Amino acid sequence: MLRYIVRRVLWGVVLLFLVSLVIFVIFYIFPTADPAELRAGRHASPQQVELIRKSLGLDKPIWYQYLRYMTQVFTPFDWFGAAHAPGGTGPFNFGYSFQSTAPVKDLILNRLPATVWLVAGAVVVWLAIGLPTGVISAIKRRSLLDRTTMVTSLALISAPVFWLGLVALYVFAADIGKIPLFAGQGTYLDAHNIVTIPGPNGAILGGKVGAMILPWFVLASATAAIYARYLRSSMIDVMAEDYIRTARAKGLRERQVIVGHGVRSAITPIVTLLGLDIGTLLAGNAILTETVFNIPGVGRLVYTSIQRSDLPVIQGVTLFGAFFIVVFNLIVDIAYAYLDPRVRYQ
Amino acid sequence: MSVAHPQQKGRRMRPKLTWVALPGLIAVLAFALSACGGGGGTNTTAAQQQFAPPTAPPDNAQKGGDLTVLAAGDVDYMDPGAAYYQFTYMITSATQRPLLSWQPDDVAQPTPDLADGPPDISSDFKTLTFHLKKGIKYSPPYSKEVTSADVKYAIERGLMPGVANGYEAAYLGSIHGFAQAQAAVKQNPTQAPDISGIETPDKYTLVFKLDKPEAAVVEQALSLPISSPVPEAYAKQYDSQNPSTYGQHVLSTGPYMVKSYTPGKEIDLVRNPNWDPNLDWRPAYLDSITVQEGFADTASASKKILSGSAEVNGDFGTPPETLKLAATKYPDQLTLTPTGGNRYIALNTQKPPFNDINVRKAVIANSDREALRATRGGPLIGDVATHFIPPGIPGFEEAGGVAGPQGSEYDFVQHPTGDPQLAASYMKKAGFSSGKCEGSVCNITMVGDNAPPGKDTATVFKSQLEQLGFHVNFTPVDHDVMYTKFCNVPDNEPNVCPNVGWLKDFNDPQSILDVPFNGENIVSSNNSNWPLLDVPAINKAMDQARLINDPTQRAQAWGKIDDMIVAQAPAVPWVWDNQANIESADVAGVINKFNANWDLSFTSLKNP
Repeated sequence: MLRYIVRRVLWGVVLLFLVSLVIFVIFYIFPTADPAELRAGRHASPQQVELIRKSLGLDKPIWYQYLRYMTQVFTPFDWFGAAHAPGGTGPFNFGYSFQSTAPVKDLILNRLPATVWLVAGAVVVWLAIGLPTGVISAIKRRSLLDRTTMVTSLALISAPVFWLGLVALYVFAADIGKIPLFAGQGTYLDAHNIVTIPGPNGAILGGKVGAMILPWFVLASATAAIYARYLRSSMIDVMAEDYIRTARAKGLRERQVIVGHGVRSAITPIVTLLGLDIGTLLAGNAILTETVFNIPGVGRLVYTSIQRSDLPVIQGVTLFGAFFIVVFNLIVDIAYAYLDPRVRYQ
Repeated sequence: MSVAHPQQKGRRMRPKLTWVALPGLIAVLAFALSACGGGGGTNTTAAQQQFAPPTAPPDNAQKGGDLTVLAAGDVDYMDPGAAYYQFTYMITSATQRPLLSWQPDDVAQPTPDLADGPPDISSDFKTLTFHLKKGIKYSPPYSKEVTSADVKYAIERGLMPGVANGYEAAYLGSIHGFAQAQAAVKQNPTQAPDISGIETPDKYTLVFKLDKPEAAVVEQALSLPISSPVPEAYAKQYDSQNPSTYGQHVLSTGPYMVKSYTPGKEIDLVRNPNWDPNLDWRPAYLDSITVQEGFADTASASKKILSGSAEVNGDFGTPPETLKLAATKYPDQLTLTPTGGNRYIALNTQKPPFNDINVRKAVIANSDREALRATRGGPLIGDVATHFIPPGIPGFEEAGGVAGPQGSEYDFVQHPTGDPQLAASYMKKAGFSSGKCEGSVCNITMVGDNAPPGKDTATVFKSQLEQLGFHVNFTPVDHDVMYTKFCNVPDNEPNVCPNVGWLKDFNDPQSILDVPFNGENIVSSNNSNWPLLDVPAINKAMDQARLINDPTQRAQAWGKIDDMIVAQAPAVPWVWDNQANIESADVAGVINKFNANWDLSFTSLKNP
């Protein structure tokens, strides 16, 4: 197992290098706005634009820029004259935003808590809803409950998350909703406590928790539906296995058969999905939910940086995202070995 | 997309905001026309009167409270030396004190701010002398008194590529020693060069010596944030980095200071403890201001403001569908303010078929400019433009006012809904006997926005061109890509750039016409003369008009230039923008007409 983990970590590092290279290449191949011109302003002469381009280091060949960037990220050396740039030398210097000159690392770390909040809560919600739904649907196959949940899950999978979010706001948001129940858009920015203590004015579920209720359910809706369908399908296959019949024949209670034997076997593909989903969401895939509810997370950061051709931020967020995906995939694979004793890693 | 929202100064370059459905736009237009009746101009005037912006605080304005500003995007730069964006000016006008500033209701002449009075201008208009107020101090942690050397440094550091002021060379380039300073900064980019024409004989006196008699425009330009003082002793450590990080550690001299700034997320302004109200004309009622960014869905953000408490809009105007809601259900919370900007569709005058003036006149004559305006919300967003200087800018009336220049030579611009017959006659003059474009020369390219409302405008104009026989290859791209890769690059410029426009830098017609239409300003990249208009007579007239300092003569000269430009038909002017601003019911907002946005130093809460 240890050798397997070490090998996966090394492959992860290779993957991060490849991802960083691809991002660099894509930025220069596909038409993007010119960061030097954007920074120069409307009246700047071509000479001034070139001076700015030089100050941003964009006048150097692509390979030079790439090597300089990777040196800053992984080494403490100043081989490429990074000392005068915001953030100085590395390691773990992901450069600075062309737009705000703020260090990319600071920008990402500032945004990460909001995304973690959003993803963590959504994970809890989609597991709490999706797993029992999948199990019950599998057990009570073809019942009215099964058909209802599967149709509902199909609808939730089909509905775009930004549409769901807007509908949720217009129906349930405390400020603009028809049935004002939950905190609305932008309330995460207003919240300074985790939870608002109920007080004389009856405030409950306030704070950051209250601000996340709607976003959690919106982000979790499609994933819960997917998990329910996956688990149902997997459970149906597993419950037809011989060892399930054996377990029943041994006299185990039905709940023990379902949970202890059925779910345990059927859940392994869900674990794989979970790792991928968490990794990609932390990498910025929650952008639509963050945008609708104005949650200042990593997804929004990468979106605005793409709009502004802010390469260092794009690069930094992508590397962070790739890192999360690699890590969570490794966690999933390790968890696999514990869930399914038949799996052994060389 | 918002109806008309704060712009980067100069050309209209905006991050994209959330989009609205065309039915919503049509509904708003229908509402506006039914409410007001009559033609576009009458509707717009009536709407502007009904929703006239408050430019003075109420008599019982109260101190205290926290105001929240909801914004879709971020400021461009917190560094006043680099700031060049209408939304950023909302912040800098509350935190910075340039030599001159604009009071909310005055768009004619800037008010002395850091200066203790208007500048003394020499009789040859080549020297401006400012005397600073004594006792103005910076915010913590620096807390020292402002001196004339700080203003000199502020202007000089704008030449550094790490600061990169966008307008300094255009308006302050006549200061003696400016060219030498530009050359010096190339050798040492992290050190502010000395501009010898800026002299500081003592700590409170600042003298500008010019090579040309351009005192009028220099005085106006010094009302921009570039003249906000920056102490070298404090800023040098940040300016030595490339790019400068002073924007993350900015000092304030205004009534508010920056407590924290998280790019793209939030800006917190609190009272500047070192601000002396006796040395300022700003009342500064609010205790604090929180700018929350990232409200990409401007429709729900607008509704949040209208139904909420202590909130105003920041960088977005009210989108059309919410504009209707605001105008009907919350009329007291909506204002419409002329922005001092225009929007037009540029025709590339350097290559066929638009190198033929008759073809250009035909296109303008055929254009239904009211339909173009409808893509942004209809009459409420402004009058159909008939020339390029917007209302409120000197030269507007001299150029013909709302009706535009009159006479047979301007007949092509006098029909806001289009005149196909007139268009056909111009096409015949151009050699197209059928009255429509024929042949391969009619295959033209257009590069525009890939998102509403810019895309809507381009699409409508495309169909109008096709009515005239053109075959239009329309390529929608990201807004910034449209400019930096296509429309700003003459060698790569398409036949039509449909989503361009210009916003004043200050209330002077030179800031509207010079860069976009002077042939001497055509450059190989970052070009803003999108029609590539290069008419020697117009260029010469502008060179002469720049040197006129008498306000009346200046307005007349530039008004005439505006008409000369219109006569060349380089572009389709289609609207002079209004900015729609909204506030919560408990806000006593004050609009600064110069910036067409809320003035945070004059705004208060009704129940703080």
